[in-house]
Amino acid sequence: MSLLTDHALQIAPGYRLQWEEAQNMFVLLYPEGLIELNQSSAEILQVCDGTKKLADIVHVLETKFETTGLESDIVNFLTIALDNGWLTQRA
Amino acid sequence: MAGLLNAPSPPRWLLAELTYACPLQCPYCSNPLDYANLSNELSTNDWKRVLKQSRDMGAVQLGFSGGEPLVRKDLVELVEYSHELGYYINLITSGYNMDEAKIIELKEAGLDHIQVSIQASSQELNDFIAGTKSFEHKKSVAKLIKKHGYPMVLCVVLHRQNIHQMKDILDMAIELGADFVELANTQYYGWAHHNRDQLMPTQEQLQAAEAIANEYRDTQKGKMKIYYVVPDYYEGRPKACMNGWGTTFLTIAPDGVALPCHSARQLPNFDCPNVNDSSISDIWNKSKAFNYFRGDDWMKEPCRSCPEKDKDFGGCHCQAFLLTGDATNTDPVCDLSPLHHTVTDAIDKAAQTNQTVQQPLLFRNSKNSKLFNH
Repeated sequence: MSLLTDHALQIAPGYRLQWEEAQNMFVLLYPEGLIELNQSSAEILQVCDGTKKLADIVHVLETKFETTGLESDIVNFLTIALDNGWLTQRA
Repeated sequence: MAGLLNAPSPPRWLLAELTYACPLQCPYCSNPLDYANLSNELSTNDWKRVLKQSRDMGAVQLGFSGGEPLVRKDLVELVEYSHELGYYINLITSGYNMDEAKIIELKEAGLDHIQVSIQASSQELNDFIAGTKSFEHKKSVAKLIKKHGYPMVLCVVLHRQNIHQMKDILDMAIELGADFVELANTQYYGWAHHNRDQLMPTQEQLQAAEAIANEYRDTQKGKMKIYYVVPDYYEGRPKACMNGWGTTFLTIAPDGVALPCHSARQLPNFDCPNVNDSSISDIWNKSKAFNYFRGDDWMKEPCRSCPEKDKDFGGCHCQAFLLTGDATNTDPVCDLSPLHHTVTDAIDKAAQTNQTVQQPLLFRNSKNSKLFNH
């Protein structure tokens, strides 16, 4: 599934993003599986709340980390996340 | 300091086998052959203690399994408690005795996902393999699960008697709205090991089935995910069993026995700990059973000097025991094993059974289970 820049992104139904204290990391949970997320993946997924489109997500993260030039990394990750069914997008 | 550095990674997966009771009689069941001799199920409070202690250690994926977990009267209460603890809760069920009220009640209690098993794509074969008239009911349960918004895995165990139905099985999965299909080639433990000659498909049957699975994987991309569990007897290398012994998975059997994998209680002189005697932390970190195959000190050749030992950890120890009589041998599925012929002999023997007499399958039920003593 390709990334649609005019669509909002959210965690797919049946998937759950959760902080795990024992492992000191975010994990993405789904039927019979889990993905242990590195910090940047977790930061991006936390912003995918169903209201924000690509530009909003880039803006939120560049503001939070006081930097610029994050867009291509974010696009790469979102494309992988969509391909794996972790995220859904809607108009 | 060395002790700290070597502390095992915490469990992430807890498989809670709530009961060995099951209305089905599948002849490939992974439960122990002598399950009918294992009574004394854990109480509700015992299970709550296990759930809490495991969660505190880091377990986050939880499977309620069995037997048939719906048989337990306290299932909803246990789901509710597990949800409060923050587990992602999977119910692994035959669907037998499930109804819409229960599906709603479990959803409200916090159940995240339901895996339903179906034995075949036709009523006749499903009901024969399950030993129970259940096909139409299972299909209606699957539709209700989707109606109430659960993600659903449809699990079909594959073997010689149903593998020719692959296309129909996948069409059925689409019709039922499955999000994931698990096409699980039979793994030969427990009842499946006993019935191996009647269950093992030929290489040709497997290749035909896998080609169909791959074709559907392409056409269903983005709609339904297809997991194809390969039959390891036909692989040249063993599976990385349980993602490494005592690294990820913790199984608690109905009577409280704690196992690094759900087949491990068949290993002789293994002295598996019980949650009635020890905390989950002591079981995971300190017990002999959970430490037995950690790392590679236990390995013999050809594993010890093998460049792939960090990839498959020597394979499956239960399989090594079943086929070679010694769990510390290399999994004989590996073609580097000096005992690899035990696997190829088994394939040949099953093929001969296929061509000559149809031996009867031994169905999994209490009467048959009592044939097997400890």
